[in-house]
Amino acid sequence: MIEIAACRKAFLDPGTRTSAPVLDGVDLTVRDHEFVCVLGPSGCGKTTLLRILAGLVRPDSGSVAINGRPVTGPGPDRGMVFQDFALLPWADVVANISFGLELRGVGRGEREARAQALIHAVGLGGFEHHFPPQLSGGMQQRVGLARALAIEPEILLMDEPFGALDSQTRRGLQEDLLALHAGNRKTVVFVTHSVDEAVRLGDRIVLLTSRPARVEEIVSVDLPRPRPLDVAALPRFVALKEHLWARLRRQAHGRSEGDAG
Amino acid sequence: MQADAYATGWQPRALSLAAGAALWEVAARLAPTSFLPPFSAVIAALVTMIQQGAILANLAVSLGNLALGFAGAVAVGLAAGIAMSRFRRLAMVGEPYLTAFLTAPSLVYVPVLFTIFGATRLTQIGSVFLHAVFVIATTTLAGLRERRPGLEAMAASFGATDRQIFWKVRWPSAQPPVMNGLRVGVLLAVKGMINGEMFIAFTGLGALVRIYGGRFEADKVLAIILVVVVVALLCALAVDALERRRPSIGWRA
Repeated sequence: MIEIAACRKAFLDPGTRTSAPVLDGVDLTVRDHEFVCVLGPSGCGKTTLLRILAGLVRPDSGSVAINGRPVTGPGPDRGMVFQDFALLPWADVVANISFGLELRGVGRGEREARAQALIHAVGLGGFEHHFPPQLSGGMQQRVGLARALAIEPEILLMDEPFGALDSQTRRGLQEDLLALHAGNRKTVVFVTHSVDEAVRLGDRIVLLTSRPARVEEIVSVDLPRPRPLDVAALPRFVALKEHLWARLRRQAHGRSEGDAG
Repeated sequence: MQADAYATGWQPRALSLAAGAALWEVAARLAPTSFLPPFSAVIAALVTMIQQGAILANLAVSLGNLALGFAGAVAVGLAAGIAMSRFRRLAMVGEPYLTAFLTAPSLVYVPVLFTIFGATRLTQIGSVFLHAVFVIATTTLAGLRERRPGLEAMAASFGATDRQIFWKVRWPSAQPPVMNGLRVGVLLAVKGMINGEMFIAFTGLGALVRIYGGRFEADKVLAIILVVVVVALLCALAVDALERRRPSIGWRA
């Protein structure tokens, strides 16, 4: 269980030397096995929040705890997937997938065995010894996903993982992710700026305000699990989408009115 | 891995050299001078020298100087580059010297070494070392300075220590510039080998060059230069082969 309370973070703008607040008191609880989507306008601080959860960034104030223990740094209970894939270009698919295991000193035989199992789980059979430049974007992100799963984390942190992919590839990976989640039921915190994606994937959607971010609203997605392939046609899906869009539109107008005033 | 026309195949290079040799032969026969004997005459001189036993012992000495000096330059150059990338004060102190030694005329090294080590092989090995070490240190430092924050953050998210980030992300990431430094460094090392031996002409191929040059035996001098060029080409090919063998070394973004 993830508990974030009154989380605040500001970054020092190197140009103007002023403090730019990014997170302004975010409160969030994520239950075990939940798939939570963090949705917000571009630049609102969603990625910062995820990095704080990953232990890569320390909040200025507030608390972030996983299963009651405060987060002080990265840990084996969390695996991260990155928007730009972040694969090692000099390592092949097997080596990339087993990177987290290698860091932990797991032996070569076991690393390769676990990598092989995941290669099949994410649909990369036959590409074991390919290198990232030889793979399409969708395949590279499958490697990224397999790499995060390889360390068997309790929590998956996904930072707009499909943002750099074309819509067809994106849709395929969303469906594969849903299938995987149905199987392993990990806790997932999924950052996105796509309303469609958030409703398609999440159990709950946390809508953030624009910078400095706070939680504007938390929406429960009461769509069937497992998600049918044509879930987007359901009236409930459309209603949820329109609701979220209306909120985002109001945020945008609120901003522009503030500028004009 | 991608097949790069530059990186593969000794055949195009061999063909180019063969064409150059043919051109040399024709030009030297059409316009004979005592300074440029035809290619065929140079080969004949080379064969004679091998039969007389003049070449092989000196070649062995030269290759020994090259190997020892270059090995030292690689070890010290890599270590210096790595150290300067980790300690900023060291880099601030050391970089002006790297620049200075890279731009100083390399012929200056040998007389200075001579005053320290005299007419010994240490001077010759030292010449090889000094010719190569500064390039290797500079390119290693430059390679390590090009950071990839995305990959380092990824490694950190999987729990990598600073040392693991260095050896598993930053060091492999720096390999293209490092290998370039080794490739240039080995050729400069060969140059240092000849410089050192010509100056301290008591052993090695450079010594032969000076002796035969003094007797105006151009065919013999050119024969030895030919051997040196072949050595240099083989060294460059060896570095290329090393790059191609290990994808973790020979990758290019």
